[in-house]
Amino acid sequence: MPTNKKHDKTITGSTVAALHRVEDIILIGLLLLMIGMAVTQIFLRNFFDSGIIWGDVLIRILVLWIGLVGAMTASRQDKHISIDVVTRYLPERAKHISKSVAQLVTASICAVVTYYSLEFVRMEAEYGGNAFAAIPVWVCEAVIPATFAVMALRHFILSFTSFKTVFKPPL
Amino acid sequence: MISYILALILILLALLGAPLFAVIIGAAMLGFHAMEVDLAVIAIEIYRIADTPVLLALPLFTFAGYLLGESNTSKRLVRLTHAFLGWAPGGLAIVAFVTCAFFTAFTGASGVTIVALGALLYPALLQADYPEKFSLGLVTVSGSLGLLLPPSLPLILYGIIAQQMDIGIDFTISDLFIAGILPGLLMVVMLSFWSLWANRKRPVPLTEFSIKEAGAAFKESIWEIPLPFFVLGGIYSGYFAVSEAAAATAMYVLVVEVLIYREIKITQLAGIIRESMVMVGGILIILAASLASTNYLIDAQIPMKLFELIQAHVTSKIAFLILLNILLLMLGAILDIFSALVIMIPLILPVAVSYGIHPVHLGIIFLANMQIGYVTPPVGMNLFIAGYRFEKPMDELYRAALPFMLVLFAAVLIITYWPGLSLIFLK
Repeated sequence: MPTNKKHDKTITGSTVAALHRVEDIILIGLLLLMIGMAVTQIFLRNFFDSGIIWGDVLIRILVLWIGLVGAMTASRQDKHISIDVVTRYLPERAKHISKSVAQLVTASICAVVTYYSLEFVRMEAEYGGNAFAAIPVWVCEAVIPATFAVMALRHFILSFTSFKTVFKPPL
Repeated sequence: MISYILALILILLALLGAPLFAVIIGAAMLGFHAMEVDLAVIAIEIYRIADTPVLLALPLFTFAGYLLGESNTSKRLVRLTHAFLGWAPGGLAIVAFVTCAFFTAFTGASGVTIVALGALLYPALLQADYPEKFSLGLVTVSGSLGLLLPPSLPLILYGIIAQQMDIGIDFTISDLFIAGILPGLLMVVMLSFWSLWANRKRPVPLTEFSIKEAGAAFKESIWEIPLPFFVLGGIYSGYFAVSEAAAATAMYVLVVEVLIYREIKITQLAGIIRESMVMVGGILIILAASLASTNYLIDAQIPMKLFELIQAHVTSKIAFLILLNILLLMLGAILDIFSALVIMIPLILPVAVSYGIHPVHLGIIFLANMQIGYVTPPVGMNLFIAGYRFEKPMDELYRAALPFMLVLFAAVLIITYWPGLSLIFLK
């Protein structure tokens, strides 16, 4: 299973590689921030009997963000949890066809979620309040349409790649 | 009619390998659409991930587990356990069970145990004159031993899903942690006795207990020995909440493995964080999807209908438990543990509670059954990982694992029909 695709040295290739790097850095930053924040809260609570008021809310929102960005990266590496009891035993060609279809439907479902969550975020931007400190709730929720849009794109690409393989003569 | 066809298509897609989160979200959207609910509800349900404080434990324990898996903790753990238990009859087999159970509890049965520990234990078992088939079966089965011991991820996930459901009986994740201990130990003890019995005609030479070696092994592991006390002591004494214990563990493991043992380089850290968070993302997005579908199920009163349907045919608790065992063993053979949890618990839990089964006991039953699924074909994950790691064909592994699996099955039956074993320490 190739987890790290080799990028060709074209401009698109290096752009994609750069974007992947940015994605990794966001994921790493979110986790380190979460650990730091959680440990700080424990420290303040136990030794000074206090804590940052919005700290716990921030930590909970970070969990959502990490989950969704992690899921987005899982789409990139095609590592989502799925049932492989049938596909494992299919012949090569049928495997690619079924994968292409399954990924296309996944992409469509992600696209539908993107559309409706965008509506939701737009509504919240108008009427919602603040999540914590001066950060409005819709900013925290914006991660939902953003990650689902990327996942839709990625599963579409996965579908297309499998589709192409179907017609490739075996080596 | 159309929605039935669409639902059928979704199930077919799941079998064809579509990511489960998409299938579950698709099903939930179909359901909400049929009930004429605005689909923006999906976003609201996904956002509920941010309303569940205890979820913090999931990424943090996963990260800590990945760090332990990547460092030499496995080696130190084997040395330490061997120094203290290796002198006993059947010593090395027992060492293997204990270390695997401990390691899996922390790394969450993601296959790390077989890769990190199996690779050490398998040659060691062969060297100590255990037969090849026995050794192979032992490491294959041990890969998921410890699933019931805190702070295993499936245990936490079960607690989170069950708490979302408002079933009238309150319990905490710490209750689950307490409940899993005796059933988890029962499995280790039964497997140990089986190993003694299986090798009764072939006495394996005993090693003598050496204070010097014990001391050296202890000294080498000095920084990792406090870990279980951290987690368990902190939670059981009420000093830490589960999520706080997770934060402390993640921070502690990070400092110990990166700064003190220096076995993980800063440059490696980025990759480890990414891989562990990909796993967390995969689990959390399925959980988010199931929050939406569960809400639909409850709105459509499906668990209640299901209960009435089953009630009409199954009247006694025992008969229900037997059916449950069969269903879970079958599920465990085709689904991985995380998807099985998020899909089945919302359906089974209300029904089981109506039959008078305590939700904590149900969680232990569920995971104990699923543990057997790790070694059953066609998709037992341990079989694949062991096959890959030890370069053995699947059928050989399956035959090697079979006797151990039967022992585990006996343990599962005891766990299922003796609720006291799980519930004795609960108030």
